[in-house]
Amino acid sequence: MPIFRSGEIKITILLSAVLIAALGPRIAGATLGEPEITVQSDVAQLRASIKNSSDRASYRVHEIQLPGGTLLREFVAPGGNVFAVAWNGPTKPNLRQALGKYFDAMVSAPKPKFADRRHLQIQQGDLVVEGSGHMRAFSGRAYLASAVPSGVDLGDLH
Amino acid sequence: MASCFGPVRAALIAACCLAAVACGGGGGGSTPPPPPPPTNNVVSVIVDEGPSNQSVNTLFTSVTVCVPGSTSSCQTIDHIQVDTGSYGLRLLAPVLTVALPVETLSSGNSLVQCAQFVDGFSWGPVALADVQIAGETAKSLPVQVIGDSRFATVPAACSGTGTAEDTVSSFGANGILGIGPFELDCGDCDTTTHGLYFACATATTCTDTTVPNAMQVPNPVTHFAADNNGSMIDLPAVAAGGAVTLSGSLIFGIDTQSNNQSGTQTVLTVDGSGELVMTFNGQTLANSFIDSGSNGIYFADSNIATCTTTGLTSFYCPGNTLTLGLSIQGQNGVMVNNLTFGVGNTQTMLNANPTFNVFPQLAGQLPAGNAGTFDYGLAFFYGKRVAVAVEGNTTSVGTGPYIAF
Repeated sequence: MPIFRSGEIKITILLSAVLIAALGPRIAGATLGEPEITVQSDVAQLRASIKNSSDRASYRVHEIQLPGGTLLREFVAPGGNVFAVAWNGPTKPNLRQALGKYFDAMVSAPKPKFADRRHLQIQQGDLVVEGSGHMRAFSGRAYLASAVPSGVDLGDLH
Repeated sequence: MASCFGPVRAALIAACCLAAVACGGGGGGSTPPPPPPPTNNVVSVIVDEGPSNQSVNTLFTSVTVCVPGSTSSCQTIDHIQVDTGSYGLRLLAPVLTVALPVETLSSGNSLVQCAQFVDGFSWGPVALADVQIAGETAKSLPVQVIGDSRFATVPAACSGTGTAEDTVSSFGANGILGIGPFELDCGDCDTTTHGLYFACATATTCTDTTVPNAMQVPNPVTHFAADNNGSMIDLPAVAAGGAVTLSGSLIFGIDTQSNNQSGTQTVLTVDGSGELVMTFNGQTLANSFIDSGSNGIYFADSNIATCTTTGLTSFYCPGNTLTLGLSIQGQNGVMVNNLTFGVGNTQTMLNANPTFNVFPQLAGQLPAGNAGTFDYGLAFFYGKRVAVAVEGNTTSVGTGPYIAF
């Protein structure tokens, strides 16, 4: 079993802090329609942690692990704004935080015909919110139709 | 008369005790009394327009709730939705006429729940009730009272999950009876907070809390005195074009009485979320489910035209009715192949029969981001007897959690 001297622990902590500071702007989560750099707030507000960040061909994805087990993904366009968020897990995330100023539009949308408790399908102006699932397993996403970078397959936003 | 408990011969004991029982009935004849009747474990269910007058493919039943310990402060509530995709009995406060006591945590705070559904949330206290359905009873059962004026202020952590559904019209039912294949609506709320249960020091001071399992809102079947290992939904077949209403039975227990025998049912074990693997159109959909609480058959197929009418654009409107194939596989490896289902033109079906509430071929889109799901709703139950066994219970054909048909 390895034994660390206190000095080594301090160095490790220091290096971690430097690393986090360097990556900070890149690993932050964000709110729909807001700049990526404004963020950190989602992670803090949701008491979450960044699980992974990766660059795709035409956007960047941040994976935020929520404490209850749900995964929140935030999709950042080359221009630096979040154009989509998606979630998957045992409970829904705080969508007021994830959708930001678009949350009210989602809540005030008229209930569609034949609505049931297993589906969500909202289109309010530029905002599209979709979801499905049931107790113990929820998934969904919200995106700004005009902000989706060209060439992005909507099927990949999950 | 000699004492029944005295040192007499065995034959005399038998005759003596038989006479004592018979005397209770005032008779004294030689015919032995019939055994006590089994608990009535069958309640009728119906698919109709519901209290919102807008429901389709939505199954309802009636439930009686009493103030715990009371036989007079009781109320029978109709149009409680029967839902195998959720857990727990939830009642809409506006239709409730009896005052059910709110559960109190060991801290002295009231326990209030934020029940999550895909399309919104329902906020209200967890209260205790003696619940009776058919002849089955669950004493002091935690149930949720949705839209209760005693807790009118929804905390931001709950309202942030979506749209409030706390009235009969927004909820589409007078309540919901969640009888899925688990006991609880949360896997680990006793140790982890999920924004589902809140401790309220006052009506406006509520914080996310863990809560002991015994205080959470459970599948009521698991708390029945008898027939508590699961349930069966038995619905007749319906014409392809649909019907105004459809009536059937909800039977409690599996292999506990002569009327709920498994027989040759095929068992499909579900995963920890209640899900199965379905294969459709060459795709393996690992997050699929069979669900009496879904009002359509929902799946993604970009080759089928969707409706163009406003409000119906997520439903399918093919030129001709389609017959499509589906396979379903349980976690136990059992595969049911060669199932078929119909996809009708939603607009045509509605135009032809605007008063119908039963549409076995109503199908809709799942968003492209949910490509791993096939959601087979109440239409799956038409013309079948479908058993839902609760986790940890073993029947003659398998161990729950499972769905069998």
